[in-house]
Amino acid sequence: MGFLEKQTDPTSPMHWRGDMQADYFYPSGVAGDKFFKHLMENDTFLVSKCTKCNKTYCPPRLYCEDCYVEIPNENWKEVPPMGRVKLYTVAKLNAHGKKLATPKIMALIDIEGTNSAMLGIIASGDIKKDFSGVKVKAIFRQKDMREGTIKDILYFEEI
Amino acid sequence: MVEKKEYKEWPPYAPGTYVRESDIRDKKITYTWWEPEVQYSWSLGQAMSKFLLGLKEGKIYGIHCKPCKRVLVPPRMFCEYCYGPTEEWIELPDTGIIETFSISYLDPDARRIEDPILVGVVDLDGTPPHHGFMHYFGEMTKDEIKIGMKVKAVWKPENEREGSITDIKYFKPLKGGGD
Repeated sequence: MGFLEKQTDPTSPMHWRGDMQADYFYPSGVAGDKFFKHLMENDTFLVSKCTKCNKTYCPPRLYCEDCYVEIPNENWKEVPPMGRVKLYTVAKLNAHGKKLATPKIMALIDIEGTNSAMLGIIASGDIKKDFSGVKVKAIFRQKDMREGTIKDILYFEEI
Repeated sequence: MVEKKEYKEWPPYAPGTYVRESDIRDKKITYTWWEPEVQYSWSLGQAMSKFLLGLKEGKIYGIHCKPCKRVLVPPRMFCEYCYGPTEEWIELPDTGIIETFSISYLDPDARRIEDPILVGVVDLDGTPPHHGFMHYFGEMTKDEIKIGMKVKAVWKPENEREGSITDIKYFKPLKGGGD
């Protein structure tokens, strides 16, 4: 009995199954809020430019991360949603390790007129192609469908 | 190599921006909300499985450590005093005494409540002193509950039991030496 009674069937001990509620809430912040609210109404990106070092941020920042200078409202401007592919990778598996039906091209895109890069998906079926340095443009959701999150940018398209 | 910078002017103190519940509800601010699917399956092991399946049948199982002459409840496959295997299953009565208790004005989700929940450790009869498990206490008020009080388990109806510690609803005061 007890400990000496050998167990060979791994399914026989009881398993306690459950769901853990772990909701994730991430407010965009003061600068992020302006950026997404602007994106809901317009097809351009809102960026902010440091008064001291001229570094331009997209998404915009309230403070320059290099000089710690506060960026005033007059230094905010719009840029066209275009850029060049800096880096890219082809994903064949999803976040859970399952095989994707069609591979996804994820890229870090240098936004034109800024010193920042944004992550995005490139819509293209050609996964053999070298996308480095390719000029792309953002395609947005229909204006009435936008919800003020990064998902309002559907994908980037080669120009 | 990164040059070390000397910062002479620091930005002024920024008080921060508060987010109120109404801002989220009325969609005054933009945000990302995600509900990840987090499922778990916790293997209970041999001893705990037998204990919980026993509760389903209305029985409380303990296990005996012969060298230490003590009964472990909830049962374990080895004795943490002598590290020896525990060997003999025994059925314990569903009566005992309150070892310790708490009057909780917070519910399991940490919300404030008016009527307190009584929780504590039950020391079952037939087990060594100061040895028990946690459970709810019921059919008594916060003024009546006291350490050393005799209690008896109130079980769920047999068809509602599922092999969980909550198959015992709570422990009620035992009056007149048992039934």
